[in-house]
Amino acid sequence: MDAFLLLDQWAFLIPLLMVVSFALVGLFGTRLRALEWGGWAAVGIGGIAMVLGVGIAIGEMLHPGTYVNAQYTWLHLAGTPGPFPEGISLVAGTLVDPLSALMLLVVTVVGFLVLLYSIGYMHHDRGLPRYYAELSLFLAAMTGLVLSNNLLEFFLFWELVGVCSYFLIGFYYEKPSAASAAKEAFLVTRIGDVLFLLGIFIYFFHFATTGPSGGWAANGFVFAHGTSPFLPTGSVGSSTLLTIAGLMILGGAAGKSAQFPLHVWLPDAMEGPTTVSALIHAATMVAAGVYLLAVTSVFIGFTATDQLAIVAVGGFTTFFAATMAVVHPDIKRVIAYSTISQLGYMVMAVGAGFAMVGLFHLFTHAFFKALLFLAAGSVIHALGTQDLFKMGGLRKPMRVTGTAFAIGGLALAGIPPFAGFWSKDDILGSMYGELGSHPLYWPFWILALLAVFLTAYYIFRAWFLAFGGNGPRDPTLPPAHEGSWVMQVPLVILSGMAVFGGLLIFVPGFQGLLLYGAGASGIPPVYGPTDLALSGISVTLGAAGIGVAYWLWGNGRIFVLPESSPLQPVRRLLLNRYYLKAAYDWVGARAVYGIARGADFVDRYVIDGTVHGFERAFGAASDRLRRGQTGVVSDYAAYVIAGLLGVFVLLLLVAPYLLAHLGGT
Amino acid sequence: MFPILSAVLATLLVGTVLTFLSGKSARWVALATSFVFLAEVAYLLLQFPGWAGFAGGVPQFADGESYAWIHLGWLQVNYTLGIDGISLVLLVLTAILQLATVVYSWGETKKPAAWFGLLLLTCLGCVGVFVALDVLLFFLFWEAVLVPMFFIIGYWGGPRRRYAAIKFFVYTHVASIVMLVGLLALVFYSHATSFDYASVYAAAPSLSVVTQAFLFLSLFFGFGVKFPIVPFHTWLPDAHVEAPTGGSVLLAGLLLKLGGYGLIRWAVFVLPNGFHEVQPVLFVVAFASIAWGSVVSLAQRDLKRMVAFSSINHMGIVLLAIAVGSSLGLLAAVLLMFAHGIVSALLFMSSGSVHHTFGTRDIASVGGITPRTPVLATMIMIGSLASLGLPWLISFPAEFTALLATWDRLAYWVLLPLGILVVTAAFYIWMMQRMLFGPEKGIPESAHDLPAYETVGMGILAAAAIVFGVLPFLLVNLITASPIRVFPGV
Repeated sequence: MDAFLLLDQWAFLIPLLMVVSFALVGLFGTRLRALEWGGWAAVGIGGIAMVLGVGIAIGEMLHPGTYVNAQYTWLHLAGTPGPFPEGISLVAGTLVDPLSALMLLVVTVVGFLVLLYSIGYMHHDRGLPRYYAELSLFLAAMTGLVLSNNLLEFFLFWELVGVCSYFLIGFYYEKPSAASAAKEAFLVTRIGDVLFLLGIFIYFFHFATTGPSGGWAANGFVFAHGTSPFLPTGSVGSSTLLTIAGLMILGGAAGKSAQFPLHVWLPDAMEGPTTVSALIHAATMVAAGVYLLAVTSVFIGFTATDQLAIVAVGGFTTFFAATMAVVHPDIKRVIAYSTISQLGYMVMAVGAGFAMVGLFHLFTHAFFKALLFLAAGSVIHALGTQDLFKMGGLRKPMRVTGTAFAIGGLALAGIPPFAGFWSKDDILGSMYGELGSHPLYWPFWILALLAVFLTAYYIFRAWFLAFGGNGPRDPTLPPAHEGSWVMQVPLVILSGMAVFGGLLIFVPGFQGLLLYGAGASGIPPVYGPTDLALSGISVTLGAAGIGVAYWLWGNGRIFVLPESSPLQPVRRLLLNRYYLKAAYDWVGARAVYGIARGADFVDRYVIDGTVHGFERAFGAASDRLRRGQTGVVSDYAAYVIAGLLGVFVLLLLVAPYLLAHLGGT
Repeated sequence: MFPILSAVLATLLVGTVLTFLSGKSARWVALATSFVFLAEVAYLLLQFPGWAGFAGGVPQFADGESYAWIHLGWLQVNYTLGIDGISLVLLVLTAILQLATVVYSWGETKKPAAWFGLLLLTCLGCVGVFVALDVLLFFLFWEAVLVPMFFIIGYWGGPRRRYAAIKFFVYTHVASIVMLVGLLALVFYSHATSFDYASVYAAAPSLSVVTQAFLFLSLFFGFGVKFPIVPFHTWLPDAHVEAPTGGSVLLAGLLLKLGGYGLIRWAVFVLPNGFHEVQPVLFVVAFASIAWGSVVSLAQRDLKRMVAFSSINHMGIVLLAIAVGSSLGLLAAVLLMFAHGIVSALLFMSSGSVHHTFGTRDIASVGGITPRTPVLATMIMIGSLASLGLPWLISFPAEFTALLATWDRLAYWVLLPLGILVVTAAFYIWMMQRMLFGPEKGIPESAHDLPAYETVGMGILAAAAIVFGVLPFLLVNLITASPIRVFPGV
């Protein structure tokens, strides 16, 4: 057997290594002479994990369509009566397949680069050991999620990445805004998680199938082996139930991947360190929702209704989030809205049945979006501000960063030959082929197409504001400088991926990785006359967006929307995030909390008040009874006997009489 | 065969007496007793043969002992003990909580001999309830728990301790009477040959369904007040707010479990037909407790009161898992009782430490404690995350199984407890935001992190929450070594 395939059996080492890193840095990080040492330990372990991850991915590329499942029984309940006469088995294991290999490549490579970059970015922070411990735990959870071979295990890691994200958003926890953003992220994704859980219940009970080795009869969780998806053929249940389960999975994915209407937490998650935004809130964790949809569509399958719902959510979010990025003054939040929008493209592609096309965009996006965040991080590190309107002229003192941001921007805008062009255009082209048979997809496809223009516009507006012009608009800012080599190297590597990553689709090995399984159409992208025309349209839109951005913001220009402009209300609406955040806050802080306050009042004064009412009544009665308290023992004995007699009479005479009339003994 | 269960009871009894007598060194005696108890439970675990199934239609127990006690005509009372997987899991919980509580209250200075003695006595009563297999013996242990807890609240408690202690006593005592009437009626009507569990179990099916239903209701009320169930829950927040930390720990960790244990052992297994008739009542009460406990928690300003109401929510989920009446549900119920025992104990210890570190438990008036008291903050985090059902911590496998069982029987009604999970997450996460994070607020100059004994006491529980959260099957295999495995469902 090939050495690379041998690695697949040992895939569990990757999460395990990161857990070791978590424990080491978490326990001993603060006791080291220099705080950076803990960081370097994490970088080293992360490097080993990356080598393993890349090795596994190469193995999959050399042997396309290999599945290596390593599992053991985690819990076995033999012969339980009820729905599972053959018993319940829950397994834990790792499944290395093309999907997980692709994700592993993304997570370990971007993860390692961010760990390295953070040495520079966080070097003056006293919380550095905590940061590296949490980031290590996150990487353990994320690689565990990617390698999960069943839905329950997937959920366990899914929640763990969520809680790591919670802690890292709240990393600067003394800041009230950071603490609040962490809470918001936890609770909004929790709504999605609860729906996801219901989806798991449904799959578990109604679409259970027998695994290849037999014996796990009631194991609805395990992903099938082989190339065919396991639809619930011959099992109990109706397609309505399958539809509902699919919608619940969509709910979970929407929470994690910040899709409308659960998108509100992601822009606020920018309170965390920028490196965290790059890794967790751009490249990996938020993509887990897309990965969940892809895994479900490949291994279980969605009904047509589900597909339409997913396309609708994804397509709408793509456009909706892009509009908010257009006006925002904060460099990180612009990129955050962009992430929501790009995730929308992926969700839409998976929904339309092009799971692998969606994952291809996930792949390219992870690199160029991490690049944009890390470049923004360099700027924030140098200047200490995130406000685009204070920056300016940074392309001269920060040549590497400026170039990196521009490359990331071109990739995002979909300008060939940069990475984003190939994947995004593949989504639009593949979807276009479906429009004939699914006319309801039309509006969402058009929204996604329009978003191309907005995307190019907002990202170059940000570039011109930060890097264009002659100098910073706020003279109080410190002089900008480039970060140390640990910060520049990741930028260079990611820039390389942003330029060439898309072209990998024409490399046979990588293609093999994506070609596998359902929804593989669209890989490699075809370039017939229609497709060339479509690409022409989208590139034109992208170029137009850049042009408009240059016209309004280039060369240090500042475009101010006139007060009398009819667009002012629109601008206010966008700056206020469509008032959705305010509405959610109202529901949480006013409605739900109000109900809770009301319930508390009822509890104290109505329920307990009734009790006190009885108490007073008994008090009055006992006053009269007190006269019976003679202090004579024989009297008390008489009371006791009378009481006992009462109980016996009740039990032996009165109750049987009553029961006889009710049809009892 | 060595009477190991009597030996456990004797250990605790002797330990209690010695503790009362040993004055200033009481805590050492209590600690030694806890370790002996732990060792005995470990021995029980090691030699536990599994579950022997039924013989003559009656479930078999391990380590059984039976001696004639009162034999007067029809009054055939025996001293009968025995365990199955359910009892054993709860004994493990008792041993862990007793050790943790003794260690946590190492610094108790107010009448330490009486304090540690009463702690052990409470545990003795609970162990008795878990191992007794005779109606009268069960009831005696059941009542025996109330007395030490009454004094723990009434003497070591907060400013309104007298009120809270009496309220606790009256409430649970009234419920006990109803339960006793139910148990006695069960013995009389079924013409059981003795008060033994086995003969009651064998005789109960001869009762008509209506009788069974009435008996089940009276037992449900009796056990339910201990849960507690809405609307008979108002003794709980008062008792917790006034109780000293160790008292709260045993109250939430063990006493509430007596209700769940009693309901499963004496009502569900014995009267399945009656259970079937009144099942809807249980569903309504369970849903009410789940929703009410969680929503009211959200409005609490007192950390301890919040945790108390969250107990009502969690015990509501236990009740729901019992109410679905399937083998899976009962498994979930016992697992969740164990989980809640560990997690609520950790949270009550946290509230106690918050109170004496910052002089208040008001969530809104203390903030940003993490840099000053990192260990305490970590304990609060672990407890809160476990309580809100985060995977890898003990509550998750239990709640997951409970909700899975609920989906099995009630389909989309499961959305209600699922939705409440968001509210539960909300009050914990919001509390953490206000107390642990943000700028420092309301922290006295003298505040310092936990003393070593409190760290160890809470550390035991935190470790248990993590170990059993990662490896829940350690418990699951034990719990199903009981009639749960073959429970036919109602």
